[in-house]
Amino acid sequence: MPIRSVPLLLALLVLAPAAPAAAATESGAALVRTWCSGCHRERAPGQFERISDIRKTPEGWVMTLFRMRQVHHLALPDEVHDALVRHLADTQGLAPAEAAPGRFALERRPNVQDLDLGPELGVMCGRCHSLARVALQRRDADEWLKHMHFHMGQFPSLEYQASGRDRPWWEIASTKLPAELAALYPLATPAWRDWQARAKPELAGRWVVVGHVPGGRDFYGTAEIRRDAAGEYRAQYALTEVGGGALAGESHAIVYTGFEWRGRGTLGGHATREIYAASEDGRRLTGRWFDPEHSEEGGDFTALRADAPAEVLAVLPQALKVGTGAHVVVVGTGLAGAAAPSFGDGARAVVARREANVLEADVTVAADAAPGNRVVSAGAASGRLVVYRQIDALEVRPAYGIARVGGGRIAPVTAQFEAIGATRLPGGELVSLGPVAAEWRAEPFDEEAKRTADVDFAGRLEANGRYRPAGAGPNPKREFSGNNVGNLAIVARARDAGDALEGRGHLVVTVQRWNTPPIY
Amino acid sequence: MPSPRRRLAAALLLLALGAPALAGDLILTGAKPDKLYVIDAAKRTVLHEYRIPGANGLVGSLVPSPDGKRVYAVINRMESIVGVDLATGATVFRADLSTPTERVKDFFALTVTPDGRELIAYEVPTRLKPSEYEVEQPRFAVFRTDAGLKAQPVRVYPAQRRMHMLLMRPSGKSFYALGFELYEYDVKTGRLLGTRGIQHWEMPGHSQPDLLAFWPVTEPTGVFTSPVYAEAPQDGKPTPTTALMSLDVATGALDYRDFEPMSALIFSTVLSPDRRSAYGVYSTLTKIDVPGRKLAGRVPLDHTFYSVNVATDGREIYMGGAMCDVGFYDAATLEKKAILKLPGCADQALASLRVLAAH
Repeated sequence: MPIRSVPLLLALLVLAPAAPAAAATESGAALVRTWCSGCHRERAPGQFERISDIRKTPEGWVMTLFRMRQVHHLALPDEVHDALVRHLADTQGLAPAEAAPGRFALERRPNVQDLDLGPELGVMCGRCHSLARVALQRRDADEWLKHMHFHMGQFPSLEYQASGRDRPWWEIASTKLPAELAALYPLATPAWRDWQARAKPELAGRWVVVGHVPGGRDFYGTAEIRRDAAGEYRAQYALTEVGGGALAGESHAIVYTGFEWRGRGTLGGHATREIYAASEDGRRLTGRWFDPEHSEEGGDFTALRADAPAEVLAVLPQALKVGTGAHVVVVGTGLAGAAAPSFGDGARAVVARREANVLEADVTVAADAAPGNRVVSAGAASGRLVVYRQIDALEVRPAYGIARVGGGRIAPVTAQFEAIGATRLPGGELVSLGPVAAEWRAEPFDEEAKRTADVDFAGRLEANGRYRPAGAGPNPKREFSGNNVGNLAIVARARDAGDALEGRGHLVVTVQRWNTPPIY
Repeated sequence: MPSPRRRLAAALLLLALGAPALAGDLILTGAKPDKLYVIDAAKRTVLHEYRIPGANGLVGSLVPSPDGKRVYAVINRMESIVGVDLATGATVFRADLSTPTERVKDFFALTVTPDGRELIAYEVPTRLKPSEYEVEQPRFAVFRTDAGLKAQPVRVYPAQRRMHMLLMRPSGKSFYALGFELYEYDVKTGRLLGTRGIQHWEMPGHSQPDLLAFWPVTEPTGVFTSPVYAEAPQDGKPTPTTALMSLDVATGALDYRDFEPMSALIFSTVLSPDRRSAYGVYSTLTKIDVPGRKLAGRVPLDHTFYSVNVATDGREIYMGGAMCDVGFYDAATLEKKAILKLPGCADQALASLRVLAAH
């Protein structure tokens, strides 16, 4: 409840222990009793109104506690906040399978397509926030109804906004949606019951790592993960950038709900946040790391236990042109062995380094080698390499991207594009070559964008396909003193292809997001 | 030369006495965080910059009292309504709508009876329970305007959801409320007297229209106008089309007429004194030939303006809202005549620009 009167606020403060130590020693349920039950009545032992009727991700609980502090002025010490998030995510979280469809939102992946929950939920909910935010919560119908009351009470303008005022928003939200959402995302599920009963994976040990940063950087190496005295995880990364040097990193991570790895650390001297998920068997960690100030800038991360069954995680690069050679790195498990590694027909390899988790070889592809897929085999593991004669198709990813002007209180949001090449095999099949080197340029997307000179105002496209938007605010040089928004075509021309081969993507440079919650 | 305050006092006195025209229009506008401006339109000068205590970042929906001595405004996150004495700047009326257990927002909808004695506010309430909110039915709250700074409603009536404007009828017996539809309510009893179409308008072949306006401008004609957006058949195809809605609050005449396939966004409109032209603003100034049902002119503006008004003699267009400029344009040629920058470049945001005719 909003704590509007001073006496009530004081009453809460009196209830509160003076308490870093308390936070460390009190059980989670006791913390909820101490800090939350002033408003959320304990209706049965350990059962608190509203709180006990909801399951959420760690980020979901962080957003809830943020609101309790910001809107309801709950004076929550940081260490109590952190302990509450752990307790709530551990006891009222989402099972791995439940969190999977919305992981892109937790990972803050830019320029991804949101979930499709049908046209009505798409407008009723998805016009303000991602549907992943909905899909990452579990409630029963009466609690979803309370959630609707919260929405209208907290955001009363929503029935006046475009796509809200064209329909009886409140009537739909309060009559139809609760049951619909409870059918999709109910509180009690077999998945959650099973996950709660399972032993949770231990993640300490040695791991093999690959990472890809859109825009042309690949990494590989190892992670040493251990538990510290507090039982939290500490990771040390020893990575190598393909075509570059060594890169060290570390992180301090908490694993919520038995599988949700949340780390903060550094990589190559830059601050990082890590949003990873451990597989249910504990052999794999996958996710995304990003710059804490620019969540759109980051990379894909995959780690495999070094002693996991033989598997190739990555072949870097994943495509070779006939008549050329390259230093190829194969990353995985079980790569060592007596038999010579093979890169397939027409590819000659001179091994430079071979260990259980990495194989480096100088690979030459004969000029007359047949284009097509090759099986890379090393030890008991096998992976894939493509041999090609020419790039026949170029696709710009994302096909539709968003960048945001910024400056001042809100940082600009960049957009990273990649050129994905493909070759056509003699049989007609189009095979992806992965990201290829390209020259980039921005063009007006349409006649109106040309008329308003969006290319000149909206920002600049860097050589690696990253768009850096311009500053925000009225620009007196533009028509109507318009903001530096733009509607642009992003064009890639492959360096290793004829002039005619181009790929096109669409970029909208738009205004700032004024709120930047952990789950959009 | 008389001081601005004496000049205003003289103008208001003339207003009160119904004296012949000696002075021009006064323009009222509000701005963040707590500003109320009184502007001499002819001289392009700010006569008064008043501060409204406790405005908390919002001064919106200005509604002058019928005698022109006060202006009412929605302030404080839409949770309070104030009346400000225009001669002194003193807050002479204040209703704080919320209580510790109920959050109440007025979505910019308020009106005052012709005798100036009662103010009607549209309230959107939420019950604040210990661990949950409860959405309550919106309502009209009627206040006595002489209730001072802790005004409490004297009558409360249930209302529909999603209303955004109230317009008093000159009889003082009923008022219009704009929301999903156009409703008319009895001032004394709160009884719903009638419902006419907005979403259920009678425009053959047209889609459901979109109308949202927070600028309750009826001067100088007593007619409220607003752009309405819908898809209308054009060469057999549904085409985004802009219509002008007009509501004569005296006669009750309600009219919708398409005037162009939508080619510019318009936030607010005003009707000229001769009722032959309407003017609209957003990033352009648009002139509409009302009887001819067509676009009569359009010029780009320096930037976005939200709220438009017209001189009492119809010769100039005034515009405000969105930023800190008050614009003066020629009503015949649409040429820019002057821009008045508000002191400190105060952001007018959603504030309605109102005109007090001093004749």
